Amino acid sequence: MFSFVLKRVGQSILVLLVTGLVAFSMFTFVGDPIDNMLGQERTMEDVERLRQQLDLDQPFVVQYYRFLEQAIQGNFGVSYRQGRPVAEILLERAPATLELALVSGVFAIVLGIALGVFTAIRRDGVAANVIMSASLIGVSLPTFLIGILLIYLFSVELGWLPSFGRGETVDVGGWSTGFLTESGLKALILPSITLGLYQMTLIMRLVRSEMLEVLRQDYIRFAKARGLSDRVINFRHALKNTMVPVITVIGLQLGSIIAFAIITETVFQWPGVGLLFINAIQFVDIPVMAAYLMLISVMFVAINLLVDILYAFIDPRLRVAT
Amino acid sequence: MLRLSTALAMALALPAAAEDFNFAVTTDPQTMDPHAVNSAPVLGFLNNIYEGLVRRGKDMSIEPSLAVSWEPIGDGEGWRFTLREGVTFQDGSDFTADDVIFSYERASSEEADTSSWFAPVSDVVKVDDFTVDIMTSAPNPIFPDSIANWMMMDSGWAEANNAVRPDKDQGNYATLNANGTGPFELVSRQPDLSTVLEPYENWWGDVEHNLTRVEMTPIQNSATALAALLSGDVDFINPVPIQDIARVEGNPDVQVIQGIEARVIMLGFDQQEGAAESGQGAADMFLDPQAREAVAKAINVPAILQTIMRGNAEVASQMVSPAMRGYSTENDAEYAFDLEEARTLAEEAGLVDQTIAFKCPNDRYLNDEAVCQAITAMLAQAGMDVTLETMPVSNYWPELRADNFDMYLLGWSPGTFDAEHPIRFLASTPNEEARLGSWNFGAYSNDRVDALLPMIQSEIDDSARQAMLDEVAGILQDEVAYVPLYVQPLVWGARSGIELTQRPDNFFILRWVTVD
Repeated sequence: MFSFVLKRVGQSILVLLVTGLVAFSMFTFVGDPIDNMLGQERTMEDVERLRQQLDLDQPFVVQYYRFLEQAIQGNFGVSYRQGRPVAEILLERAPATLELALVSGVFAIVLGIALGVFTAIRRDGVAANVIMSASLIGVSLPTFLIGILLIYLFSVELGWLPSFGRGETVDVGGWSTGFLTESGLKALILPSITLGLYQMTLIMRLVRSEMLEVLRQDYIRFAKARGLSDRVINFRHALKNTMVPVITVIGLQLGSIIAFAIITETVFQWPGVGLLFINAIQFVDIPVMAAYLMLISVMFVAINLLVDILYAFIDPRLRVAT
Repeated sequence: MLRLSTALAMALALPAAAEDFNFAVTTDPQTMDPHAVNSAPVLGFLNNIYEGLVRRGKDMSIEPSLAVSWEPIGDGEGWRFTLREGVTFQDGSDFTADDVIFSYERASSEEADTSSWFAPVSDVVKVDDFTVDIMTSAPNPIFPDSIANWMMMDSGWAEANNAVRPDKDQGNYATLNANGTGPFELVSRQPDLSTVLEPYENWWGDVEHNLTRVEMTPIQNSATALAALLSGDVDFINPVPIQDIARVEGNPDVQVIQGIEARVIMLGFDQQEGAAESGQGAADMFLDPQAREAVAKAINVPAILQTIMRGNAEVASQMVSPAMRGYSTENDAEYAFDLEEARTLAEEAGLVDQTIAFKCPNDRYLNDEAVCQAITAMLAQAGMDVTLETMPVSNYWPELRADNFDMYLLGWSPGTFDAEHPIRFLASTPNEEARLGSWNFGAYSNDRVDALLPMIQSEIDDSARQAMLDEVAGILQDEVAYVPLYVQPLVWGARSGIELTQRPDNFFILRWVTVD
């Protein structure tokens, strides 16, 4: 078991290193940050001096090596755009993204499961059919468009909800939260729906098809024959057995909610790490881009590692096979 | 632990007061350090906090600020500035000649991005506590114009906080904090999120605004910014997307404020001999002025402005707009659109058999990509084969520096608001040593222009100076050094009932804002 875990960890680190190398080789194509850092009256001399200072005259492999060298000591460099340590900026921005991901995750799971069960039980009902058709919107409309539509409806036309930002936040031990103020909670609604809509429809459709599958099984028929109530059959026996694949998917989707919050954050000017990343690309803020990409790949690799280890616990054959 | 800031408690307890002013900008100022980055978003915002010896008024004219008066010394050996007495910085310390000397040393240092402003300066001398002599190596009639954005920093404050020199790449105390003499002081600064200003009580000037608190939020997405204005979440946005102007004008709750910027959009050409070896450029096709003229005549600028800019820009005849000092009225005729002549010229100059590599940014100027597409189509009509390549500005400048172009789009806003500025940066033969022609990517070169520039720079007599500027403008027009297209429009959006002043430098000056 121990050697299995060790092997997996080793592979994960290799994946991380390769991801970083690919990322750094891409930075060359994003453009040149120097022109963004200097004004129009700069001379070529200024340009060359700054380029040397930032190691930008070095090949990307050398830049990557220097980044790793510093990153191992917990130093992710200083943002070209803000002139502040990247680690500090990321920590400042993380709560916004995590809270948004949490709320939209809960929204997707609760509503997804509830609607999935409903459409499975009432599969021929009018309401179920309407929901199923409407759910196509969630799958097919791009996030960007959904966000803009929601803003125009609820902020511009109705004036109920703020059009951008996080509202007022409260600082709780270094963590800025929007959960404790009215404007903070209001500000969460539209972005959470925008971000969670796709995941919600995904979970809903998955639950529905799993439910339909399970409801055809013999033990459900026996339960009905025993005279159990519909509620007990649907929720205690059927739903429970649909949850295994659903939980796997939810686990994997959680990572992508955080990673793909970028578009939602851009539309709502949500001050999270995704927006930070987009701004970093425009400015060619290499330290921020590098740290963000490493962070996201660490997250994905960690989730996959955890899943692998869990599988190995559940299925002993995997341990031997490797 | 739960910590509620007082500002937050106030915000929760009270409905927002009318004088609370929220505005959105596209680009967050990178720094609060007035000497670290010489860019419009930074200088425009910091003009509310810091002040210079002189400043620009509502009509862009130079007026006294921290200096009450100035006069040339002798035959143009320099300028003597008499400082305003009784001015205090926002931390309470007095403003004196020592701060001017310190700010000169700081702003002209190698670490600063503003050092080019001081290239003509040979020495700065403190005469007494409220008199400073700035000596120039040659007579410099427009020196006061060129330092309107040179902002004064307190020497004591900078020393106490270890910010004696600006730090572009690592940042220091002055990157996030500010201590100026201006009408507003920095209350909180969260880069990229929000920057809060409040009026400085002991400001020396007469208060014209009625603001009590100002919050600036960067919103990069223009659709989001517009929605924020329409829903009343912000009071002011800059810019309003051109395609949305009609919608905003139709809404009684908001207003559009339009004008023209100082920025002239133009086409540049590769005019170096042997450009073919350097990359995609074909052999020297634009060395011939006729070839450049063919391009100028083939472009129907009014049509571009009518469609892409929806009638919100003005055709340009030269490298500066009519609002700039030194604009040449003698040369105010634009290249007339003439398809037939363009065709003939293109054929004569041998442009027809070649492929022109046209480079264009897609996120730098208003609707830049659409303008370049229109130009490409217009040149095709005149028989020219143009390959357009558009890219983000971060890739664009390196491409131009690498000479990978035959033709390119450039916008230029003269920092000094004077016609001399584009001659120095765009029309002089590139010369690293002399700091000339640093944006002259196509290497246009004319001996007479090179000879006239230093004479223009040191000419005290206004009419003699204007005659030389006219001569340069005439040469550039005759040789079609660049093809000036139009002056970029300024489109601001504000809630109804807000009064403000729009200046062609696109600076949003808070002390002229009143909210009803």
